Amino acid sequence: MTVGPTVAGGLKLVPETEQDWMLLIGIAGDSDSDLAGRLAGLMDEDSMWDEIVAPELSEEFSKQRITVVKEVMKAKEEGEDIHILKGSVEVWYGALNQARLALEDKYKFGAREEVDPQMFEDPSARAAYFRNNFYSHVQGLLLQYVMVD
Amino acid sequence: MNAVDAPAHETQTRTKKKSDKPWQVVVLDDPVNLMEYVSRVLIKVFGFSKEKAEELMMAVHQRGRAVVWSGNREKAEMYVNQLHSAQLHATLDRAE
Repeated sequence: MTVGPTVAGGLKLVPETEQDWMLLIGIAGDSDSDLAGRLAGLMDEDSMWDEIVAPELSEEFSKQRITVVKEVMKAKEEGEDIHILKGSVEVWYGALNQARLALEDKYKFGAREEVDPQMFEDPSARAAYFRNNFYSHVQGLLLQYVMVD
Repeated sequence: MNAVDAPAHETQTRTKKKSDKPWQVVVLDDPVNLMEYVSRVLIKVFGFSKEKAEELMMAVHQRGRAVVWSGNREKAEMYVNQLHSAQLHATLDRAE
């Protein structure tokens, strides 16, 4: 997969193999639906965060995941590249972030320099680690080239 | 005022002082959110300058948490809501 900035101020993802497409479609699969609940767990009971705020956030996060998957599927069906422009960058960044937060919650990668080499004995953890790095790299490019004021 | 009333008055005074303490919006460190993104969110939510946002972001990164705003509970909850919407780990605390 090639990823790079465009003259229009966006980021272009060019999937070259079926595996590349599956990686992008998998962004939603790596996410979990309980991020809003876990954030609510940081608040005290008086706030009633679980009842009032978390459902709205859950819906917002769900929309991010669905939008990204739809855009990837549409591009795949039409044989097009994927363009992330300023109008949709928050959605993409958010979906990638959800995936990384869920992977971190599951595998506890921690900061990159702290990763335990023994973790790589688990093939699913190894694959998740490289997906996490790819998501992080795309996020960095979005910040650098698209999320500029 | 009789001898029985006096402690009750003190209790009321202490309670009032406690409730007067402002609420703090606290951002917690996590290994996922990119440093540049955290600064960006702080600028967007609180209107901080780039320098102030980066200073607070570094405080979160180095100390594990940082108070980024303090004031009344209603507004503090609104800010935490916006930080959660940006997927930052944030909570409310009471000023000491």
